[in-house]
Amino acid sequence: MKTKLALLFFLAIIGICSAQDAKEAREFFWGAKDEFKKANTIPDKWKNESAVIIHKREHYNYHKFGKSVTYVSGIRKRIMLLDQAAVTEFSQFSYKNKFYSNRAYGYKKGTNYVGVKIIKPSGKEIEIDTDKESKEVDGEKKLAVPNLEIGDIIDYYFYSVEPFKSFFDYTFEAVETPLGDVYPTMDLKITLDTENDFFINFNTYNGAPNLKEIPTKNSGERSYELSEKDIPKNEFPRWFYPLAEMPCYKFQVIFARSGKFEKLADGFLSEKERDIKKTVSKEDIFDYYNKKFVPAGDIGDINDFLKGKTFTSEEDKIREVYYFTRHQFYTRYIEAFVVNEAKIFYPFEYYGNYPIFFNSEVQFVNYFMQFLRKNDISYDVIIATPRYDGSIDDLLIQSNVKKLIRVNTKNPVYLEYFSPYTSADQFNYNIENSKAYVLEVSKGKRITDASTVQLPSSTYQENSVKTKTELTLEDFTGFKAKKLSSYLGHLKDSEQSDRLNFYDYVYEDYKKYATKPLLDYVKNKKKNEQYSNEMKALINKMKDTQKESFEKSIEGELDFLVDDYSFKINNTGRYGKKSSFEMEEEFSIKDNLIKKAGDKYLIELGKLLTSQIEIDQKEKDRKNNIYSVYPRSYENEIILNIPVGYSVSGLEKFNKKVENETGGFTSTAEVKGNQLIVKTYKHYKNYFEPNANWNKMIDFLDAAYQFTQEKVLLKKN
Amino acid sequence: MKITFFSLAFLLFFAIDGNAQKGLDPTADEISQAKKLRESYSKDDIAILESSELITFDLNKKAAKVIVNHSIKEHLMNINHRADIQKYEFYDSESSIQNFSLKYRNDKTASFSVKDEFYKDRDLFYNDAKVKYVTIDFPVQGYNYKYEMEKKYDDVKYFTSLFFNDEYPVLSKKITFEIPNWLDVELKEFNFDGFKINKTSNTEDKKTIVTYTLENVPAAFKENSMPGRSYLYPHILVIAKSFTKDGATTTLFKSNADLYNWYKSLIAMMKDDTTVMKSKVNELTANAKTDEEKIKNIYYWVQDNIRYIAFEDGIAGFKPDESNNVFEKRYGDCKGMANLIKQMLKLAGFDARLTWIGTKHIAYDYSTPSLAVDNHMICTLMYKGKKIFLDGTEKYNSFGEYAERIQNKEAMIEDGDKCIIEKIPTTTADFNKETFKTTLAIENETLIGVCNKTYQGESRAEFLNIYNGFENTKRKERLDGYLSKQNKSIAVSDVKTSDLQNRDSKLTIDYNIAIQNKISSFDDEIYVDLEFMNEYKNFELKDRKVAYEMGYKTNYVSQINLKIPDGYNVTKMPTNLSIKENDFDINLSYENTGKEIIYKKSFMFKNGLIKADAIEKWNEFNKKLKENYNQQITLSK
Repeated sequence: MKTKLALLFFLAIIGICSAQDAKEAREFFWGAKDEFKKANTIPDKWKNESAVIIHKREHYNYHKFGKSVTYVSGIRKRIMLLDQAAVTEFSQFSYKNKFYSNRAYGYKKGTNYVGVKIIKPSGKEIEIDTDKESKEVDGEKKLAVPNLEIGDIIDYYFYSVEPFKSFFDYTFEAVETPLGDVYPTMDLKITLDTENDFFINFNTYNGAPNLKEIPTKNSGERSYELSEKDIPKNEFPRWFYPLAEMPCYKFQVIFARSGKFEKLADGFLSEKERDIKKTVSKEDIFDYYNKKFVPAGDIGDINDFLKGKTFTSEEDKIREVYYFTRHQFYTRYIEAFVVNEAKIFYPFEYYGNYPIFFNSEVQFVNYFMQFLRKNDISYDVIIATPRYDGSIDDLLIQSNVKKLIRVNTKNPVYLEYFSPYTSADQFNYNIENSKAYVLEVSKGKRITDASTVQLPSSTYQENSVKTKTELTLEDFTGFKAKKLSSYLGHLKDSEQSDRLNFYDYVYEDYKKYATKPLLDYVKNKKKNEQYSNEMKALINKMKDTQKESFEKSIEGELDFLVDDYSFKINNTGRYGKKSSFEMEEEFSIKDNLIKKAGDKYLIELGKLLTSQIEIDQKEKDRKNNIYSVYPRSYENEIILNIPVGYSVSGLEKFNKKVENETGGFTSTAEVKGNQLIVKTYKHYKNYFEPNANWNKMIDFLDAAYQFTQEKVLLKKN
Repeated sequence: MKITFFSLAFLLFFAIDGNAQKGLDPTADEISQAKKLRESYSKDDIAILESSELITFDLNKKAAKVIVNHSIKEHLMNINHRADIQKYEFYDSESSIQNFSLKYRNDKTASFSVKDEFYKDRDLFYNDAKVKYVTIDFPVQGYNYKYEMEKKYDDVKYFTSLFFNDEYPVLSKKITFEIPNWLDVELKEFNFDGFKINKTSNTEDKKTIVTYTLENVPAAFKENSMPGRSYLYPHILVIAKSFTKDGATTTLFKSNADLYNWYKSLIAMMKDDTTVMKSKVNELTANAKTDEEKIKNIYYWVQDNIRYIAFEDGIAGFKPDESNNVFEKRYGDCKGMANLIKQMLKLAGFDARLTWIGTKHIAYDYSTPSLAVDNHMICTLMYKGKKIFLDGTEKYNSFGEYAERIQNKEAMIEDGDKCIIEKIPTTTADFNKETFKTTLAIENETLIGVCNKTYQGESRAEFLNIYNGFENTKRKERLDGYLSKQNKSIAVSDVKTSDLQNRDSKLTIDYNIAIQNKISSFDDEIYVDLEFMNEYKNFELKDRKVAYEMGYKTNYVSQINLKIPDGYNVTKMPTNLSIKENDFDINLSYENTGKEIIYKKSFMFKNGLIKADAIEKWNEFNKKLKENYNQQITLSK
């Protein structure tokens, strides 16, 4: 009896607590202090929009009791709906009522509180009973909003209370976003409440208003607010980095209970938790990383690899070591992961107790620090941030940082953390051509200072794709085509990761470094046979899928279907800037590209350039600057075998030249023997173009598009 | 396969015992069987070697309901290199799954984790359909599993059809019914013609055992735009007519009158409070001059203001929502909207009735008394001796016009104690005519001119639906993009439309057009390509073996007039092309009047369907069409 009562009492408390939280949520957004209770009008300039956000509030609250942290986040939007598309968008909500917090420790349940009300044009308010009106489906709540019509205002909030335990430091995920939303916003308010032991990094950029501190009654409490009015909707064009130009804010909160934990924290902390950290300086970088980067690791494997080898230069040696370690500590294990995921067998027991496998940038850097130190080679550590995140001067969030090693050979070699396709001749294009920090290393092992450097750029010649397509007419209704493609630089690694599967490269690595493929470790004959069969079956299935996707890829580029498709990868190009990724494709084009003109034929040779960027009138009016991923070039050769007794004309249309400081498109056509050879070259010169240069870019983009429309006439002699 | 990398130490905790024991791997015979099967079924990864279903019946005396026990046993084999599939079974509030298990080929239990989730239907907001499923892998060719499933239906009326075809080809299919003497059930056979289905019937002491078998059943078609499966595959519809217990006979579904009675009992459960709609009905009819105007105002108001959000859990799947609920919530499903239209029309003084109907997707009519016959509800207006059908889910439907999906289908109209069965009238393709007309001239290697497009019937309703679904700010952009076919070489300007909120009158769009890259000049000749619309060029039904169902009966007519430039003659024109088959009637013609070239196209699909046996003819024609579209007009000086 007592336990039953106790249980009931306990449940009642929980019920009361959550009811209390629900009331708190409602009061927080819609209570007496709600300034937007009666805000029911929108400005004339936005009357033709799909919807207008009258008020948007984002709230973040961090509090603790010892190790127990409670993180509250909330969002409220008050939106006027002006067309059917907006009404449909807001007619249905889904959310998780209860969810398991996966932060730090303590698999606790968090709760989401949701409130929805509708304000009719007459001013009448209808509050929806979200518990009653929603249905639960697999732990998720679905709410169909009743009585919603065009012209109504919908005012809703999500309020999430998430408790968790943190024994150590804990870094909350960063928020980095432009101020705007999908719809124009009349009023935006972002508030943050916290107390001791929480460190806040917060800054605003590109003309966004500053974060203000709001005085609080309790000295341990801190309260902040960012407000802005009249924010146009986010409508970003192609080739644009919103965070680099639009008013935006970045923030991150780190919980660290004491000095000891502050040192462990995963972010840049301000000196005193009372102060908001707005920027990260050279000194901050130094302080944070000087303890994290320490030469560490057993370089025995590298020493074995280097035994008896000679190299033409120190740079060459570094590169070869890089490719070796990319295999030894990375691609060597890929088969194992594949086999494990496909449930073929458990492979990891074959690799001994503590195989070295790099799974973080820091581990990679520390290991190479060790190698370079032991070999007396000068190096530094580079800290950089992607260009789409803005300048490194605006760095605030640690997780944005990319870490590299710069080996100070005569021509520096940059080494970055592995993927199967990384190269010792280039590094992540997002940090090319950007200002970065150099952590100077003295005596090969201590980081003693930090300075800045402009990271090198790659050129449009280095990032290139060259294709050669040869066409032979079939029956004058179609063609047989053979296409060779060769990729270098950054165009190479994006193509590799799109097209290659593990079996396309792990075996060449095993061969090159004389290491054992996974199945060689399985000594039991019967098991080996079984696993081999299953591996073969899996690879065959993957090959079928791979072929389908290659075929779809070329069909997408050409914008029509092809037949009898086959492909071959001739070189994976994974060993440096001089080795290109090469593949060849063969296919038939039926009933396409050739049109009858009486007894003559029009061949739409231009289409073989594949779909080009089409800039329409709306894009022509672009007001933003242009951000390119990297300078790049596309070289194409199209060869048409002219059937015996025929000749071609109309070649003038294929001679084009548009070149300016942003890039260009040139093409030439000439007949050599019995072949018509058309060559094109398109390139983008820079990483960035100011808006003033947009028309110059359009000039060559339009020329490239127009080229795809050109035809050549084929007639009997 | 995307590779995810995580700490090896972490992985050591998750050793998966992939040990193959003897007996799990396929035998050499099984492997060669799989290889052979793959030759016959090259598009399928799995073949079901044998599948047998057993249906038995029990009586729930208390509830006076007949229970159905349905069990399936299947033997699945992988015939591709490797296969990873999901084996699943649906159930809902009227059924439950008693057993769902897998065994390896040596009868050892395969312990895959069985998931049980809500089945998320794209069109339904919330329903009670759930799905039990398991993800299984067949690591090599010839690998096989044995699957067993037992499902129980609490009420036989929800147990409707049994098909021979499956997602995968079945080499040997058997369906056995054990019908107890106390149950009068009809096993109605559909689409058996052309299939070698063997049927045996043995009467025993207390029951009759009926067994159907069919060999080498191909997998169900996996194409888009197919007619409903009740048209395509041989199947058995189970109709429980009555049962006898202790001398007393209880009627279930003997005729459609019984079906109607059950529907009527559901309607009786509704408690409509029509007072909430009174003022809206007054508002909609106060200034209407005629009866038709009153009816239209109400009907169109429901179309425009009630969103389709469907809750189909349990009885909500059959009993309409009260009209006041639908009215106040401003959302409902087809039943809710039908009921709302009925109540609002009644308030306005008209005779309106609820009406059940099966859409075109379903092959049956009301001569079959089964829940499988209908899937939709509309409202019938009884007016001056005529019946006019109103469907609230058909947005932008014009009063007096009927959507393709209900045309020619039987409707069951409530009429007090009995029901009226009446067919919805059919219209012709002409009714949905879409036209395109343009007059062009050549200026600086550009085709310049004015265009006119018209839509009516279903082509108009389809256009209005799509257009009005776009955001306010995007509509002009989308319309321009539609008219220019998203082609950078086509520029449209000065677009003028008829009222795009009007769903009754012909929809017209007038605009100016400038088309580049369609004129090629070489020496003294100009080649003109008037093919910038490319209608049906990419409509290829390659390898398709099942009928293609269009959205509606289609009639598309186009005329392009091109002024012949001064000083030029037409030396070559593309050839005329035409074909007249049952399912399609197409004409392409070029005419040279001396002043103009007139290029006419007409595409008539009078049945809104290309039957399976017409597909080859269509593909041959499509090839000729493409050749024709590739031909240029040659103008010489």
